[in-house]
Amino acid sequence: MSRKPALLLIPGLVFILFGFAIPSAIMLLAPPSTDTADVFARFGAMLTDPYDLAIIWRTVRIGVIVTVACVVLGFPIAYLLARSTSRFAGMWLALAIFPLLLSNVVRTFGWLVILGSQGAFGQLLVVLGITDQPPQLLYTELAIVLGLIQLFLPLAVISCYSAVAQVDAGLDHAARGLGATKSQTLWKIVIPLSRPGILIAGTLVFAGATTAYTTPYLLGGSSQRMLSTQLFSYASVSVDWAAASATALMMTLLVFMVSGLSSLISRKAGVTS
Amino acid sequence: MTTAAEFTGVTQAYGDTVAVDNLNLQIEQGKLTTLLGPSGCGKTTTLRMLAGYITPSAGTITINGADATRLPPEKRNLGMVFQSYALFPHLTVADNVGFGLKLRKVPATKRRELVMANLDLVGLAHLADRKPKALSGGQQQRVALARAIAISPSLLLLDEPLSNLDARLRVQMRSEIRRIQGETGLTVVLVTHDQEEALEMSDTMVVMRAGKVMQTGAPATVFTAPANRFVADFLGYENFLTQSDGSLLTVRPEHLRVAAAGVVPTTPGLTVAAVVRESVYRGVDHIVTMTATDATGTPITLVSTTRRDTLTADAGFQPGDLVTAQARDHEIVRLTSEN
Amino acid sequence: MKGRPILGTLAVLGYIIMIVPILFVVSTAFTAGDALTFPPQGVSLRWFGEALAYQPFVGALLSSLQLAVVSTALALLLGVPVTLAIQRGKIPGKSLVEGLFLSPLVVPELVVGLALYQQIMIGLHQTSFVALLVGHTVLLLPYAVRVTGASLALADPAVEEAARGLGATPLRTFFSVTLPLLRPGIFSAGLLSFVTSFNNVPLSLLLQSRQFRTLPVTMLDYVQQSYDPMIAAMSTLILAGTVVIAIVAEKTLGFAKIFGGINK
Ligand SMILES: Nc1ncnc2c1ncn2[C@@H]1O[C@H](COP(=O)(O)OP(=O)(O)OP(=O)(O)O)[C@@H](O)[C@H]1O
Ligand SMILES: [Mg+2]
Repeated sequence: MSRKPALLLIPGLVFILFGFAIPSAIMLLAPPSTDTADVFARFGAMLTDPYDLAIIWRTVRIGVIVTVACVVLGFPIAYLLARSTSRFAGMWLALAIFPLLLSNVVRTFGWLVILGSQGAFGQLLVVLGITDQPPQLLYTELAIVLGLIQLFLPLAVISCYSAVAQVDAGLDHAARGLGATKSQTLWKIVIPLSRPGILIAGTLVFAGATTAYTTPYLLGGSSQRMLSTQLFSYASVSVDWAAASATALMMTLLVFMVSGLSSLISRKAGVTS
Repeated sequence: MTTAAEFTGVTQAYGDTVAVDNLNLQIEQGKLTTLLGPSGCGKTTTLRMLAGYITPSAGTITINGADATRLPPEKRNLGMVFQSYALFPHLTVADNVGFGLKLRKVPATKRRELVMANLDLVGLAHLADRKPKALSGGQQQRVALARAIAISPSLLLLDEPLSNLDARLRVQMRSEIRRIQGETGLTVVLVTHDQEEALEMSDTMVVMRAGKVMQTGAPATVFTAPANRFVADFLGYENFLTQSDGSLLTVRPEHLRVAAAGVVPTTPGLTVAAVVRESVYRGVDHIVTMTATDATGTPITLVSTTRRDTLTADAGFQPGDLVTAQARDHEIVRLTSEN
Repeated sequence: MKGRPILGTLAVLGYIIMIVPILFVVSTAFTAGDALTFPPQGVSLRWFGEALAYQPFVGALLSSLQLAVVSTALALLLGVPVTLAIQRGKIPGKSLVEGLFLSPLVVPELVVGLALYQQIMIGLHQTSFVALLVGHTVLLLPYAVRVTGASLALADPAVEEAARGLGATPLRTFFSVTLPLLRPGIFSAGLLSFVTSFNNVPLSLLLQSRQFRTLPVTMLDYVQQSYDPMIAAMSTLILAGTVVIAIVAEKTLGFAKIFGGINK
C-alpha cells in the first residue's frame, strides 16, 4: 500500500481542488464579470460605510458575546460531568451532545415559539401582569444571541469535556490534599491545564457564530443583518458579485484572524509552560 | 550444514543513519539463531529485511538458495511473530491461525484440523473461538506463534517475542519455544536484547553493535571466549585490565576473588592489589567494588561477587581495606581486539 | 453538583438554553388549534397528518435523503483512500495535504456555496443537484478523512504486515484486514456525514433550484410565509428521526467515541 500512496490521493485531491479550493479562491478574489480591483474597492468601502460597518460590528459583537457565553456555560457542564462519579453522567453528556445531530432549523424554531408575538415568554409576562402588551423580542440582537448560544453550546461542551477529562483527577485530589479549596483547585489547576481545549472551544464557537446563517435569518430578520445574511442578500437579491465577494472576504478574514490568534496564543502558552 | 538464509553485504540506511552496515550472515537450517545486541543496533531492521518488509539499500538476501532481496513478504512463506503480536482484532483465535491457510486455499475441514493441531502445540485449543482482546498477553503471544507456524514457514522469525511478558512467563516461554522448535524442526531466527535469553535458547548467537556483527558462534563459545571488549561487556564481564604489552584481559565478577592484602594464591593466575570501595550484601551474593591500577598505570574499577553459601566467615571487608583481587588462569579471558 | 452552587447554576442554565426550545417545538406540534401559540390549545395529531400530506415537505424530504446518501457515499469513497495514503503511505508534505482536506471546516459554508453557484451552476450550467453534490461532498470530506483517520491511527500497522507475511497480497490485505479495522471509523464518519448533509442550510439554500430543494430550506421558506403548527410537527418528525440515529450511534459505537474524532 505504501508504495502507491499517490494513486490513492489523486481522486480526493482533484475533487477538493476543483470542487472547493479553486472555486472559493476565484469567488473571493475574482468573481464572474467583475474585476479583482472592484472587490478590493468594495472591501475598502465597507470599512468606511456606516451601514456596512454597523453590520461588521454587530457580527463581531454577537460573535464575542456568544463565545464568552458558551465557554462560561459550557465549561461548568463539561467540568461537572468529567469529574462526576454518577452513573447518569454519561446520559447527561449524551444529552448535551445530542443537539449537534439535530437540524439547526428545528433548534432555532424553538425560539420562534418562545419569543414570537404569540410566544410563551411574552404570554408569561402578560399573565404575570408585568406588561399589558407582549414585548417585541423576535428580530432583536438578543434573539440572535440566544439562538446562537443554543446552537454552539454543545460544541463548547465537547471541547471542554475532552480537555478536562485529560487532566488527571489525581491532580485535583493532590491540590485539595495540599490545602487548596475547591475553587482554588478549579482556578489554579484545572482551568490552566485545560486551557488549550477552552481555546479550541472558543475558536470553534466564534467561527460558527460569525458565519451562521439560519439563526440570524430566522431570529434577526432584515433589521438585524449580520455578515452572513448580508452576503446572502447581495448574492441572491441584488446579485452584486463585487459586494458579495467583499463581504465573503470580510467573513473569511474574520474567521482566519481569530483562528490564527488562538493558535498563536496556544503556541505561546506551550513555550512558556 | 545447510543454509536456510543468507545475507551478503547487506546495508540498510535511513537518511544518515546506517541501521545495518555491510552485513554478512548465514542462518543454518533447522537451528535457532538469535540476534543479540543493545537497543538500536539494527536487529529489527535485519529481521524485517529478511521478512521482506523493507528492501536493503545494498546487498543480497537469499532464502533457500534463491535470491529474495526484492521479493514481497507474501511470496516468501516466512512465519513472523511481531513484538506487538499483531493479531487480527476482528477475527477469532481460530481464524487468526487459519488466515494463512485460507490464503493457501486449504479446504475447510483440513484447515480446521491444522488450526487445532497448531493451537494444541501451543496449548490453546480450548480458546479457539475467543477474540484476541479476550486473551492475556501470554496467550496472545502463543496465538501469534501458532499463526506463524501454521503456514509451515521455511523460517520462523521472532522479534523480541518475550519482552512483553512478565519475568516468570518469559522464562517459561523460552523452553516452550525451544520445545516447539524441536518438535517442528523449524529454522528459527529470534531477536532479543537479553543475553540470558540468547545464551539459553540459541544454537547460534549473533552479537550485533551499531549495525555490524561483532561475533557469531555457539553460546558456550561466545560466552567463554568473547571476541572483543564489547561482546565481553555485553555478556557480563566487568573487570578489564590492560597489560603492559597492550593486550586486554577480562574476568567475570564471579571469578574474581578478594583476599586480604599479602595473601598469596595457591593456583597460578592474576593478582592485583586493590582498595575496597564498597561492600554490599545482595541476597544470593555479596558484591565488593574495588579501586586498583592496571599495568599501564590507569585507575580501574574491579568488581567481585561471591555467592553467600561459599562466603567464608572472615570475608567481611570494609571500605578502605587493602586487599588483593585474584583470578585463576583458566578464568582469565584474553581479548584479541579492543573493539 | 453539591457544594458547587455557581458551577451548578451555570450548568443548569446551559442545559435550559440547549434543551428547552426543543421541548417547546415538540409541545406545540401536538396542538389542536390553528396557531403556533403557547400554551397549545388541546392535544391532537392533526398537524402531523398535514405535514406528511404536504407535498413540498415530502418531496423535499426525499431530495434531502437522496442528497445525503449520495454525498456521504461519495465523500467516503474519496476520503477513505486519502486517509490511507496519509496514515500508511510515505507521502511528502503529509500535514499540508491533511490540512487541505480539513480546510472546508474553516472556510465559511456560504463562501463555498456562493463559489460553487458561480462556477458550477452559472459557469458550467450544471443542475443544482450536481452543484449540491459537489458542495456537500466537499463539506463532508473532513469527516471522512479525520474520523476514519483517527480509527486507523489507533490500529497497529504491524497487523497489516502480519497479513502480508502470511501470504496476502496488498489488495487482499486491504480487504481482509485494513477495511475491517476501519469499519467503526467509516461507520462514524458516515453517520456524521449523513446528518451534516441532511441538516445543511447555507449550501442547500444557495444551490437550490425549483426542481431540487432540500427539506431544511423548504421549511425555512415555509415559515416565512405561514407560521402554523405544521412546521412544528415536521420539526418533531425530524427530531424523532434524529433520536433514532442517536440511539443507533450510542448502541453501536457510543456517542462520545463518534464525536471524539471531530475535535482532535
Ligand atoms: N524507519 C526508520 N527511519 C529512520 N531510522 C530508523 C528507522 N527504523 C530504524 N531506524 C534506526 O535504525 C537503527 C536500528 O534500528 P532497529 O529498529 O533495527 O534497532 P533494534 O536493534 O531492533 O533496537 P531495539 O532493541 O530498540 O528494538 C536505529 O538507530 C533506529 O533509530
Ligand atoms: Mg527492535
